[in-house]
Amino acid sequence: MDPENVAAAQQGDALALDRLLDELAPYVRRLCARIAPAAADDATQEALLAVFRGLPSLRAPEAIMTWVRSVTVRTAVRLARQQDLEVAADDSVTDASAASAEKLVDIDDALSRLPASQRVVLVLRTREGLSEQEIATALGIPVGTVKSRLNRARAAFREAWES
Amino acid sequence: MTYPAASSGIDPVDRLTILAAALPGAVVATRRVAAPFDAVWQVIADLEHATPRYEPGVARVRIIERHGEFLRLLVQDTAGREDAMEARLRPGWCVMQSGTIVIAFAARRQGGQTLLAHLEHRRVQTPSPRQDQPLNPGAAVAKIDRELRVIETLAMQAGTEV
Repeated sequence: MDPENVAAAQQGDALALDRLLDELAPYVRRLCARIAPAAADDATQEALLAVFRGLPSLRAPEAIMTWVRSVTVRTAVRLARQQDLEVAADDSVTDASAASAEKLVDIDDALSRLPASQRVVLVLRTREGLSEQEIATALGIPVGTVKSRLNRARAAFREAWES
Repeated sequence: MTYPAASSGIDPVDRLTILAAALPGAVVATRRVAAPFDAVWQVIADLEHATPRYEPGVARVRIIERHGEFLRLLVQDTAGREDAMEARLRPGWCVMQSGTIVIAFAARRQGGQTLLAHLEHRRVQTPSPRQDQPLNPGAAVAKIDRELRVIETLAMQAGTEV
């Protein structure tokens, strides 16, 4: 990430913003697809809107990726939780989901069946390679909470994988 | 020029909304244009000939450099003042800026028609706003809407010529 481009984007240089969007969008989309697979498009758009709206107030341009990750993860978790609630409230969707359990064929499928709070820590740890401290920072929660959620997520993942 | 480019996987109209979020005071208007995407984009991409037809303050546009998607323009207004602009242009996406203003277009297919979004933004470091520019968001939206209607007319004419 070119710090000069980030600084120019913060000053309202539209072409710098355009380049920044090219650089950030694939990363934001990948995170959203893994954390909120059923709402990936909406999560990507909302996260990028939040990032670009908040860009002028970013005090440390060199820390942009850490900040973008945090904004994206929190946005994706919020939309994933909404999606979890909608699925739980809709019997027909739940039934269809149960029926499709037999067709579980890969890791993404198993991950998508976890609650959002467990899926996000597992995705960030195993797919994005973040440390427990980095996950805690991104989510704004204590490291101890990350550890306990990881334990529960691993157990739930094994159960989903073996079902 | 068959498909709108999506270099980052983001739909161009959604991309314009994201760009606007980083430009406080930017005005965006969107219109469903009754012409196919190719005809609409033919008008937008023809910066030298089409811009003076829909933008009332512009008398002349010249492309002085072109490197792929990136262009440098000289824009002369109706009072004879000349300003340099940088631009990025590809199917479905166009951003132009000078030291004082940002102009952007984004388009997506909508059946046989086109959803066209247009952004105008005055950059905050403008030392002395020109008198011929809109003073409030309502006037700015009305101006953009008039421009979109003219572009629609030009695109419908282009569509009959294709």
